[in-house]
Amino acid sequence: MIMKERIHKDVVIIGAGMAGLTAALYCGRMNLDTLVLENGIIGGQIANATDIENYPGFISVKGSDLIGTLQTQAENFGAVIDEFDEIEKVTLKTSPKIIETIEKIYEADVVIIASGMNRRKLPLPEEKKFAGRGVHYCELCDGHAYNGKIIAVMGGGNAAVDAANFLTKYAEKIYLIHRSEFRADEVSRKKLLSNDKVTVMLQTEIKALRGDKRLEGVEIFDKKTGETKTLAIDGIFVNIGVEPNTQLFKDELTLSASGRIIAGEDCRTEIEGVFAAGDVREKEIRQLTTAASDGTTAALLAEKYLAKLKG
Amino acid sequence: MVKVYTVTGCPNCEKVKRYLASKDVEFVAYDIEQNDAARAEAKRLTGMDYAVPVTTIDNENFVMDFDKKALDELLCL
Repeated sequence: MIMKERIHKDVVIIGAGMAGLTAALYCGRMNLDTLVLENGIIGGQIANATDIENYPGFISVKGSDLIGTLQTQAENFGAVIDEFDEIEKVTLKTSPKIIETIEKIYEADVVIIASGMNRRKLPLPEEKKFAGRGVHYCELCDGHAYNGKIIAVMGGGNAAVDAANFLTKYAEKIYLIHRSEFRADEVSRKKLLSNDKVTVMLQTEIKALRGDKRLEGVEIFDKKTGETKTLAIDGIFVNIGVEPNTQLFKDELTLSASGRIIAGEDCRTEIEGVFAAGDVREKEIRQLTTAASDGTTAALLAEKYLAKLKG
Repeated sequence: MVKVYTVTGCPNCEKVKRYLASKDVEFVAYDIEQNDAARAEAKRLTGMDYAVPVTTIDNENFVMDFDKKALDELLCL
C-alpha cells in the first residue's frame, strides 16, 4: 500500500466557485498558506453562465471570463488551486482538520467549505438512457449540436431562461417547458418572450422521454387542460434547479432540511475553524454577490481564528 | 499524437486541456464546431454527433469528458 504524502496548510478551501475563489484571494493576500481543492469545474455553476449582467462593475460578463480573472487574482497572491485531485474524506472535528484526497492527506488549521451546488438531474427513469443522447445539462458544451434543430429547455428560473436565450443562436425552435410559473427575472423573461423561435409552455409537466437510440420526443401533461401529448424534439436541456454539494460533510456538520450547511452570516459553523461560504450555506439569498461576500467574510474571520490559534 | 475534440467555451474541454498541459502531454485540440472533418472523426470514434471533450491517442481508444483515471490509463500517465 502506498503511503500518501501528508501536507500541512493554514487554510484548505473546498470548492473553486465564486465563494471559494474570493476566500482564496483574501487568504492569499493575508499571506496564509492556502490550498483550494475542486472536484469538478473551476467556477462551479458560473463556469456555464453565458452573460452575467448583475455582477457590480460589469455591464455584461461571461462566467468563464469573470471566474478566470478571479482565479488569476487568487493565484497571483499565492493561493494554490488543485482541480485534478479528488477529495475522498474529511474529518473536521479534530485539530488539525484532515482532508484526504486520492493522492494526498492535507492537515489544515482552517477549512472553508464553499462546495456550492450541483445541477439537479432530470428525475425520470429514462434519463440514464438518453443522457448525452438528447438529454443535456451544458448549453455551452452541447448547444452547437442542435443547429437548426427543435429542442426544449426544462425549467422556469433564471438559469433555464438564460439557457433558452443562449440556445436561440443554434436551434430553429425552442420550447421552454416548466411545471409552474416563471421564476426568472423580468429582463431575461422579456428577452425570451420577444424571440419568435420560442414557445413557452408553463404549467406543463414532462412525464416521459421517448425515443429509440436517442431522444425523439417528450410526453407532456398540460396541467391547465388536463391534456397529455407527445412533443417531437431533438434534444432537451435540463435546468430544474440545483442541490447542495454536501455529501462529504453530512457526518461532520449539521445540515438543514434542504441539505445545506447551517452557519450564520459570519459563516462560522458549529465546529471552530470550519466556515461555510456561498450557496452551500443555508441562507435566504443566494447570488454571485452574496457568494463573494461570504468568501470575504470567511477568509477574514479565518485569519482572526488562525492568529488566535497560533498565539 | 494526442488529439482532443472540443468546442469553444466548454468548461470540461478546458479542464482536459489544462490537465494534459499539467502533465506535459503534447496534444492538438480540434474545435468540432469549426472543423467538419474533426467533427466527423469525433462522431466515428464515439458514435455520437457532438460529444465533447473526447481525447484519443491512437484514433481508436478514447476517453469522453474529464475522467482523470481513464485519461491516465489511456495516456499511460
